[in-house]
Amino acid sequence: MISISKLLCDLDAEGDGLRYDAADDSEKPQITEEKQQRPVVVWNATRRCNLYCSHCYAGAETEAATGEFTTAEAKSFLDQLADFGAPVILFSGGEPLVRDDLVELVSYAADRGLRPVLSSNGTLITRETAAALRDAGLQYAGISVDGLPERNDRFRGEEGAFDAAVRGIEHCLEVGLKTGLRYTITEANAPDLEGVVDLLVEKGLDRFCFYHLDYGGRGAEIVDADLSPQAKREAIEQVADLTLAYHDRGEEIETLLVGNYADAAFLVEYARETFGEAKARAVYEHLERNGGDPTGERIADVDYQGNVHPTQFWQGYSLGNVRDRPFGEIWDDELNPLLEALRNREEHLRGKCADCQYQSVCRGGSRLRALAETGDLFAPDPQCYLHEDEVRGEGGPVVGGAAD
Amino acid sequence: MVEKARRSAVESDERGNPTRQWEVFVRNEEGDPMRHVGSVAAASGSEAHEHASRLFGWYAADIWLCPADEVERYSTRGLVDTAQERSDDDNGDDGSEEQRVYEETAGASEVNSL
Repeated sequence: MISISKLLCDLDAEGDGLRYDAADDSEKPQITEEKQQRPVVVWNATRRCNLYCSHCYAGAETEAATGEFTTAEAKSFLDQLADFGAPVILFSGGEPLVRDDLVELVSYAADRGLRPVLSSNGTLITRETAAALRDAGLQYAGISVDGLPERNDRFRGEEGAFDAAVRGIEHCLEVGLKTGLRYTITEANAPDLEGVVDLLVEKGLDRFCFYHLDYGGRGAEIVDADLSPQAKREAIEQVADLTLAYHDRGEEIETLLVGNYADAAFLVEYARETFGEAKARAVYEHLERNGGDPTGERIADVDYQGNVHPTQFWQGYSLGNVRDRPFGEIWDDELNPLLEALRNREEHLRGKCADCQYQSVCRGGSRLRALAETGDLFAPDPQCYLHEDEVRGEGGPVVGGAAD
Repeated sequence: MVEKARRSAVESDERGNPTRQWEVFVRNEEGDPMRHVGSVAAASGSEAHEHASRLFGWYAADIWLCPADEVERYSTRGLVDTAQERSDDDNGDDGSEEQRVYEETAGASEVNSL
């Protein structure tokens, strides 16, 4: 997760409290150094969803899946995460609110010292539900909207989904629950991006997370709907411009990017062009500390049947199942050569990624997209949109010492 | 570390996500044991091999695949066991004075048809 607002506007965002790459949440500093090295864990609490989105990475269905955790099993799983020291549990799905015991599990997670956050389509969040989740200890709700009403509803397979999601957002805000937008950018909805932000700012929302499409779940079937690299670059530039415009007007919205670490390099270039070399260097150093793509390191996913995945988008491969052995044991098992390779990917990256001057802020982007598109785990991310000269550099350091 | 020798069966027949899961075992060098390295989702054995080869082909000399639901598993620390233990510890009391299930959300799944 890359915070544009933080990087470009030096906003003292609440999001700084948790490490940058964490789930969609924000809080004052409170996580220990040790805990920050543990992954944020996305839990697909159920496969069931009341919507049927064309890009769903989890392949969610309107019918319940077999093998989902009982409440008792879910608590044991949360115990595993707490024992391991995971800092954050992101309740996801399917739609997590279709689980009758969600509030109970959020409360249990909070009691065990896990920071509970939620990813939801928002359509089932009544004011009462929002208040119950807040009282249970929920720290953040990320609500998905993928376009202005007409496009969103087509995408999500349900007329009225947009209005229902906005009502959900309003209910969260009314009860004082920190809330943000999740927007997956595709070719179809890129034109709506600015309109959606404008509309939701009016409703009082101030946090916007833009996701790049990853090629897992039903997302894999709509690779063709992804933006071209050039269009993607333009969309990110638009988000950066929009962020600066809002901040210039004194409206300090928080904007974040998820899922394509070419964005990190792009923002260094953008900062250089807009503000100069010193700013570019500050942005670069911040991003380098952040560490690039988090797959298999700072983010983990556990699906509704207990399979552990290197990210929530990589549902086709599982590192192990928490029914067989505890999460921490699976996650720490670097005898698994794939996990070891993901954590030392610099040694394996090929093509332009091997020599890219931005490797330390990107780390090769999405290994899943590379695998899906080329069959080669270590090939360049097909959605890297950097220009060749940006990748190659000009012999000097990636950011110069103009301020010296 | 393991205080009890009694192992319970671990359910493994419902791990399709939703495609059938195949446990993957690899060996790199002669003399090494086969090592379990997780599972892949695939509709058939040959598709599973293809999938596993993309993930581990750079590393492994041998790849074995086994349908996840064909593996009989027994463990002292499955989720069901630990849930049982917690229930024994709690003695029916979860330690919280507050009601955790809010009436309105207890029936949330009923609101499923938007």
